[in-house]
Amino acid sequence: MAAGNLELLLNLGHFVVCGEISPPQSADKAAVLKKCAYFKDTVDAVNFTDNQTAVVRMSSVMASVFALECGLEPIMQMTCRDRNRLAQQSDLLGAAAAGIKNVLCLTGDYMSFGNHPDAKGDFDLDSVQLIHAVSELNQGRFLSGDVLKSPMKLFIGGAANPFAEPFDLRIIRLGKKIAAGAQFIQTQPVFDVPRFEKWISAVRDEGYDQQVHILAGVMPVRSVRALIHLRDEVPGSLVPDEYILRMDAVKDDKEKSAEVGLALAVEIVDQLKRIPGIKGIHFMPVMWESITPRLVEQCGLLPRPKPVIASESSEEAV
Amino acid sequence: MSKLSEAIANICEKRQWLYKPILLMESGAKKLIFRCQDCGQCVLSQNAFTCCMRCPKQIRNGPCGGTRPNGRCEVYPNRACIWWLIHRRAKRLGVVHKLKKYHIPADRRLQYTSAWMNMFAGRILPLQLGKKPKEVTLTKKDPPPLR
Repeated sequence: MAAGNLELLLNLGHFVVCGEISPPQSADKAAVLKKCAYFKDTVDAVNFTDNQTAVVRMSSVMASVFALECGLEPIMQMTCRDRNRLAQQSDLLGAAAAGIKNVLCLTGDYMSFGNHPDAKGDFDLDSVQLIHAVSELNQGRFLSGDVLKSPMKLFIGGAANPFAEPFDLRIIRLGKKIAAGAQFIQTQPVFDVPRFEKWISAVRDEGYDQQVHILAGVMPVRSVRALIHLRDEVPGSLVPDEYILRMDAVKDDKEKSAEVGLALAVEIVDQLKRIPGIKGIHFMPVMWESITPRLVEQCGLLPRPKPVIASESSEEAV
Repeated sequence: MSKLSEAIANICEKRQWLYKPILLMESGAKKLIFRCQDCGQCVLSQNAFTCCMRCPKQIRNGPCGGTRPNGRCEVYPNRACIWWLIHRRAKRLGVVHKLKKYHIPADRRLQYTSAWMNMFAGRILPLQLGKKPKEVTLTKKDPPPLR
């Protein structure tokens, strides 16, 4: 089984770039393809969120399949909120069959944050157990111990939040995820770089940066409102006052505000690139996907290495 | 655990009149002291005697990413994050190393059953008192215990 672009590039030691797309709140395939166009040739792989913030959207599996159609490598996100272990494993089988190579395992935002706060959450597994389940599938076993009829392979990702309390327990949990089988880690968006450095140095002390590829999250924001929302409403994110002041100074001018937001993201990326142990950047331009080509270019991360996805036909020939 | 404990569990589980009072006693005590959620596979001894099933997401492995800076839960801002509590108590008791243990997915068949009897019968992890626990899982063939 051929490895995906992301896995190959990471193993070859490239500094990778990931993007993020939230599928539309409709059955609009064109909307997915339009967003995919922004990421084509500017990033190595794109995350497709799974009903992020518990708002119902197009399924991440299907959106990932659409991305494959236009030649973009998807990282399918999978949460534990909406599916029990049966549905999760069946979706993973389907995803692997469709040619999806990467999966990011998350616990998922709680229902009360979304547009169906009255829903029942599943939370049958947690994210560490889901990582373990995918790793078992890769080894040809279901969680029940039954054997798969034919092998499958997915590149397994997990998330880490360097900014939430309790700090030591976060490192322990990262170790658990690695032990369970995580191969790459994407972090929450970084605004507070010193705090991130503290986290990554603790990670290096444990030697985890050698066992797993760590991609730092960066979120470009275009208004001070978004930044304040992140600081106050999104638990587990730290935004330094300096950035808020800088964005606040230009809050009346939409274009200038966007420019400052872009400059902030570029600044953060420049600082992150110098930190040892970081293997790539994961851009999360939520609701601002169109900025990606400019952002990646300004960060000096273009051109991207040519996709090395072994096409299905050549694989069959082998 | 041992032949003896298995025999005790076997005797108790076959007799409703014996099992029900034990279950009532256990859940009564645990509900009062630990706000037990009746998962039937107790991990209190691993988690510094704080029940992780009180977490809204019932996460058995570590905290989710949403713990607030003041140690509150992301879902209920007026409650403490359970895993923040577990970590604080583990530090006080000097058992932080126990939090490194990976917990297998919960066996939903054991909900509302007696964790003590399940432990005696060898269905779940024994109480961890110094010794390294052996991972135990129910297989499909094992009969579900009495409810």
